[in-house]
Order: sequence, then C-alpha cells, then structure tokens
Amino acid sequence: MILLEPNNRVVEETLTLKFKNAQAGVKHESIDVTLADFDGVLFHISNPNGDKTKVRVSISLKFYKDLQEHGADELLQKIYGDLVTATEEGYNVSLLVDLENIPDDWESLVKKIGLLKTNCFASVFVKYFEFQEKGEEGAKRAVVHYRDEETMYVEAKADRVTVVFSTIFRDEDDVVIGKVFMQEFKEGRKASHTAPQVLFSHREPPLELQNTDARVGDNIGYITDYLHYHIKCSKAYIHSRMRAKTSEILKVLNRARPEAKSTEKKTISGRTFRPS
Amino acid sequence: MTGRLPACVIDNGTGYTKLGFAGNKEPQFILPSAIAIRESARIGDQAARRLGKGVEDLDFFIGDEAFDATGYAIKYPVRHGIIEDWDLMERFWEQSIFKYLRAEPEDHYFLLTEPPLNPPENREYTAEIMFESFNVPGLYIAVQAVLALAASWTSRQVGDRTLTGTVIDSGDGVTHVIPVAEGYVIGSCIKHIPIAGRNITYFIQSLLREREVGVPPEQSLETAKAIKERFSYICPDIAKEFAKYDADPSKWIKQYQGVNSVTKQPFEVDVGYERFLGPEIFFHPEFANPDFTTPISEIVDNVIQSCPIDVRRPLYKNIVLSGGSTMFRDFSRRLQRDVKRQVDARLKLSEALSQGRITPKPMDVQVISHHMQRYAVWFGGSMLASTPEFYQVCHTKAQYEEYGPSICRHNPVFGTMS
Amino acid sequence: MAATLKPYLTAVRHTLTAAMCLEDFSSQVVERHNKPEVEVRTSKELLLTPVTISRNEKERVLIESSINSIRVSIAIKQADEIEKILSHKFMRFMMMRAENFVILRRKPVQGYDISFLITNHHTEAMYKHKLVDFLITFMEEIDREISEMKLAVNARARICAEEFLKRF
Repeated sequence: MILLEPNNRVVEETLTLKFKNAQAGVKHESIDVTLADFDGVLFHISNPNGDKTKVRVSISLKFYKDLQEHGADELLQKIYGDLVTATEEGYNVSLLVDLENIPDDWESLVKKIGLLKTNCFASVFVKYFEFQEKGEEGAKRAVVHYRDEETMYVEAKADRVTVVFSTIFRDEDDVVIGKVFMQEFKEGRKASHTAPQVLFSHREPPLELQNTDARVGDNIGYITDYLHYHIKCSKAYIHSRMRAKTSEILKVLNRARPEAKSTEKKTISGRTFRPS
Repeated sequence: MTGRLPACVIDNGTGYTKLGFAGNKEPQFILPSAIAIRESARIGDQAARRLGKGVEDLDFFIGDEAFDATGYAIKYPVRHGIIEDWDLMERFWEQSIFKYLRAEPEDHYFLLTEPPLNPPENREYTAEIMFESFNVPGLYIAVQAVLALAASWTSRQVGDRTLTGTVIDSGDGVTHVIPVAEGYVIGSCIKHIPIAGRNITYFIQSLLREREVGVPPEQSLETAKAIKERFSYICPDIAKEFAKYDADPSKWIKQYQGVNSVTKQPFEVDVGYERFLGPEIFFHPEFANPDFTTPISEIVDNVIQSCPIDVRRPLYKNIVLSGGSTMFRDFSRRLQRDVKRQVDARLKLSEALSQGRITPKPMDVQVISHHMQRYAVWFGGSMLASTPEFYQVCHTKAQYEEYGPSICRHNPVFGTMS
Repeated sequence: MAATLKPYLTAVRHTLTAAMCLEDFSSQVVERHNKPEVEVRTSKELLLTPVTISRNEKERVLIESSINSIRVSIAIKQADEIEKILSHKFMRFMMMRAENFVILRRKPVQGYDISFLITNHHTEAMYKHKLVDFLITFMEEIDREISEMKLAVNARARICAEEFLKRF
C-alpha cells in the first residue's frame, strides 16, 4: 500500500453491515460507535433518539469553522442533499440514513458517506479553483487550522492556486527524514508533467510562514498524512534492516567462540535429552 | 480529558486481531492475523531476503485481503499468542493503523495486549516499535487475562469490581485456564487444554460425515462450523438428552440449509445429536481426543487448587469466560455445576476424614457469563482505555526517551478503584 | 577517501591484536573482587596508555587497555543529518540487545558512538584473532549499512513522491 485511501473504512463497513442486515430482514440493533480519522477527525455513528431504524453519522472537525467560512455547508448540501440532518450536539455535520427506506444504489451511498471527511475538505479547494477560473485575484487567503499547530493556507492568483501546508514533526528524527521526502517531492515533477509544482523550505518561512512548507495544488490535501505515513513506514523499514544486520553481525561474533562439543542426545521421538 | 481523541485498542491474537477505538462496545475490525508478502527467491537468510531496494516492503496485505491476494506468501507473525516475527508484525501494525483504523498514531494513546507468560523483552521490542516507528504519545501493554476479568465487570455492581479470578479463555486453537490475583497472573499455575473451537468443528464434521451424504466434501468443514455456531448448546446430562431426542425427534432435530458452491444446488442437513455432542467435548474430551481425557471442570479445579491458599476462595467465586468458544448456551451453568460438585466432594471427604470434627465452610463457586464474552479481551481494553486513569498509567513518549524501552516491562494494574 | 580505509583498518587490527593481551587479575583494593580494571580504574599501574586511531575528524577508534580488560570505542562517520540519525538509531538498537553481544557495552564512552568491553573471560572463551576479526568486520559493516540505508531512504522518498504526484 503506497497511497492512503481517502475513504473511511470503518464508516463504510459499519453502514454496509447495517444495510445488508436491514435488507435481509434482521432485527435492527442499536448502534453507538465512536471512531477517529486522520487530522483529529472524530466520527460518531448512532441512532438518533434511540430510533433503531435510523442511523446518524456525525463528524466533528476541529477546524470546521474555518471550512464553513469557505462554503463547506453549501458543498455538503450539494453532495449529500437531503441526507444532511440536524447537527448532533458536539459535532459539526450529521447525516441521517433511514434503514426502512434503502435506495437501490446503497453501495454508492455508503461510498459517499465514507468520503465525508474528504468532502468537508474539498469545499475550500472548490471555492478557490473557481476563483482562479474566473481570474479573480486578491480574495482573502483561506486559513485552515487542520491540526493543532498545523495549518493550511489556500490562495488564488490569476494563473494559479497556491496551497501551503505547514506541518510539524514532533520527533527530531522525523524532521530529518521528512526533509529527505520533501526534497524528493520537489524533484518529483519530473515523473509527471501534469503534477503541480512543489516547493518546500525548512525553518525559513516562505510567504511569511514558519516551518516546513509544501505547495501543492489540486486534489485534496492528504499530503501531510501521506508524509507522516511514509516517514513511519521508512522507520519500520530501517528497523527491519537493522534487525537483519544485527543478527548478521551477531553471527560474526559467534564465530569467535570455539565450537562446543555437542553433548545433546536425541531420544527416538526427537526430543532432546540432557543428562543433568 | 475532553477533546482528546479516543485511544486505539489492538488485541493481536494468534488467529484474529481485534482493532478498534476505546469506548466502543465492539472492535471495529476483526482481521485474521495474517500478512501476505512477496518473497523473493534470493539466497541468504530470511531477514536479508525480504529487504528490497525500493518500497517492496509496502507491497503486502493483511487480514482477509491477505487470503485474496495471489502470488503472495501468507505468514502468521503471532504464534501461540506470542509475537515471533517482528518485521512482519511491525508492518502488520503499520497497515492496521493507517489503512484500517485510519488513525494518526501520534494523536492517539495505544493499548496493546499480551498473552500471559510473554517474555518481558517482547514488551521492550513492542515499545521500541510503537514509540520509535510510530511516535505514539503513550502506550500501555495489558495482559489479556486481566482485560477479560475487567470485561466481566459489566455484569456486576461497581463495588464488586475485582481483578482476582480465574479466566477461561477459549479461542479457535487452544483453551487456557489462567488464575489472576489482584491483577497479576499466577504464571506457574496456568494450564492449557488442547480442546477449543476448531476441535469442536472437527468433531461435528466427523459426526456429519458418518451420517449425512448430501454435504459436498469441500464444504463439509464450513458446514460443520456453521452448525456449531448456530445450533450447538451444552446439555446438563447427555443420557437424558439422548432420551429427549429419541422421544420427540421432530422437536429437537433441526435442519440446516446450504448451497453447493459449485453446482449451486441447495442441500439440506439434519442436525441431531451433534447439537449437544459437539461442545460436550469440553467436558468429555475423550470423545474427540484419545490422548487427553481430563474434563475442563477438573482442570479448573486443579488450577485453583495449585494456587496459593489465600486466593483460592476468590478464584472459585469469580470464574470468568472469554473468547468465542465459550459462547455455547449454558456453558457457564454446566461448568459451575461440575466444578461445584468436585469442590463439594472434596469438602465432604475432608469432613469424613476428620470424623466430623471439622465442618468446612462451603465454597462459593460462580461462573460469570456476560454479553461481551466473545471479544472480552478487546472490550476490557476498550473500557479501561476510556477511563481517565488510563492516561495516568500509560508510559509516555517522554518517559520512554528518558528511561529507555525497559520502562515498558512493567505496566501497573489499574481500574479497580474507579 | 576509500584509499584511506584499508590502512586505517590495518592499523586498528594491529593495535587491537597487540592490546588484547589480558590475564586474570583480582582487585588490589577489595578482597575477592575481580573487575575490569579499565572500567573501575582502581590503580594507575594497571592501566595502559590509551591509543586513538583516527581516519579523519569524525571517524576514530579509542583503544584503552588494562591488565585484565580492554575497551574499544568507535566513532562512526556521520557526514550529514540523515547519517547521524541512522547511526544513532542503529547503535541504540544494538545496545538494547547487548545481552546477545556479550562484549558490547550498554553505553558508549563519551564522545563515541559505540563501545565494546572485552575482559580476560572473553579472550579465554573465544578466539582472540576472531574477536579482532569481529571488530574489524563490525566497523566495515556499519559504515556500509549506514550508507545503504541512506540510499534506501532516499529511494523510498523518491518513489513515494512520484506515486503521489502521478495522481494529478
């Protein structure tokens, strides 16, 4: 698995099970599941007011306010239509599914709900791409605090949309590995000419920003999750290499021992026999 | 603690891994603990062979997807509950966290489980992976049996919460009887029973094979499994149960409908005595295994009798079931009755031997059955990891960096106070 | 650079062979104690002058010997940040498993990345020339492994970046 999937599996599987059970005529069971996603997103799947025939999927994003400023509500309304329901206390968006009235294409519905988080993010981009198409300039820069200490900025110019991700690696070692990755992202455009240009800097703020920045246009900004994921994979890989090497070096050391005469005797059934 | 993301609870078992977020009643994912990797035919030892130059190590699948992948070798990194292959385990966790849970490990505390008698080095290796590769902010490694005890709290009053009890953990491969005193496993007294879910399935399969001819041979195992899960129960007395069936077969014999996977023809199987005979092998193992003839109740009794004398009463009083193979109806009642019988017989004997001079205090035997039994270990973990106390007993990344991995050798017991 | 590696290792090899001349020696201070003198340093007369062999500023070996023990400390080349963290990680990884490496010290001597402590018990139980061989192989292998790991991390980064950008 190189790329991360944009959809949330837990949400999808939970809903699929619900739909399938409902179609098979299994008695509705109550549900109450809390789960998380990247970027501090929290989902809550439950039955509103204890009504077991309805399933409500709520999402809580810490930065939803930032998104709201850029038309997240309208976009979600457009995508999910009448699924959108009264927002649950403590959450930002709630969708409601009726198990007594399942549409034929429930599979695509499940997919759509699984992408809830992505779609929340999308609103900002959609808006700014529109700005860019219209050639509007000077619109206010969008600021999304999508994680504690991590911020995303979106800005539209006549000829381009600039997205700035500022990310913080909490671990010293991650900073170094992160830098290697950033460098490659910068050069990655060679592989694909349609890819947006990526620039990054470490500690020196471009566009009056602090810390490591990458500029990526188009598509939804999974770059930071992606980076975090791959840095961890790299460390796992380094661990495997170290394990392999350590056992290899250990073998060299054990060669220094004179070979012990084998006093082990085997019984007929293959068990070891040690005279004590 | 408000606003904090829920902790991740991962229970890596030999057969299945249970994954989910703390606070939920059921794990979000139950995956086979299998990983499918590509193995190159290069020479050299196993570890060196797996290393590629690029990102070959990302080319793998876990869980059910592992079985669907073609051209891959399937491996099980956990053997007998203990992690054996750390390279693969690290990758298994990688995908469990990023692909299934979709959790940024830096934002979540983690609760992992370990079997009883796990070597302490393994805790260090686990900590090394969790803190260094995944940068988790906090880690707690809990003993499965203790979590199973904690899970049984749902069926009792808050004041009765205790971490002393006997855990009977029966999964697919093996059954353990584990005595726990005040949150610590009495390692020397653990006993294993080679009878578990798989053996029951095989036994039912052999019974069906003798009688039912309609079952396609390649589907006989899954048919037996389905029958076991759907129709089996534990009876109080086999002789009476046989008589009951013979008196009124139509009332007791059930039908199982299946579809031949090749010809798509439906087939039907009568389910008779195997309904109660299957799980009966817990109490009469000689039915299925000529080498092992001790019934489970006797083993439980022996285990408790081998424990220190001052914990025996609480151990008898709190016998907790965990794992899918303890889900048979009336399992707890039968076990309670059988253990009680043995204990009473012993007390009676000691009374007789003392010629009436000693009247022992009767022993209270209780087998606890509850709703969360199937995933008791995971549920116990989920429950404990959602308490504020959990965040206090977790080893944090700062502590890890200060003291090194050895800090994770000891994980304090908690939960009884709240 | 590579041209200096061989003489460097040869120098280390000869020094080690000469230095690894150990005998059983009980403590002069405490009765019935028998401890590696290079560590406890109870008496000056039991210690020999330490030797440092340097290949360049970064890479050097410190050999401290005494009557019954010898301590070998190695500083590994760390050309840039990534090599630094890789070698740091690797050394820590090995030191965590020091019980398997009987001669590995759990903590390095200050200023070095990894230290070995060889006592007379080790030289009695193991072939001396093979122990020297081990230390030399260790030095070679570590350098090679770290540069390979660095390349591997770079390669991974490139593949990941390309995969990510390919989607556009």
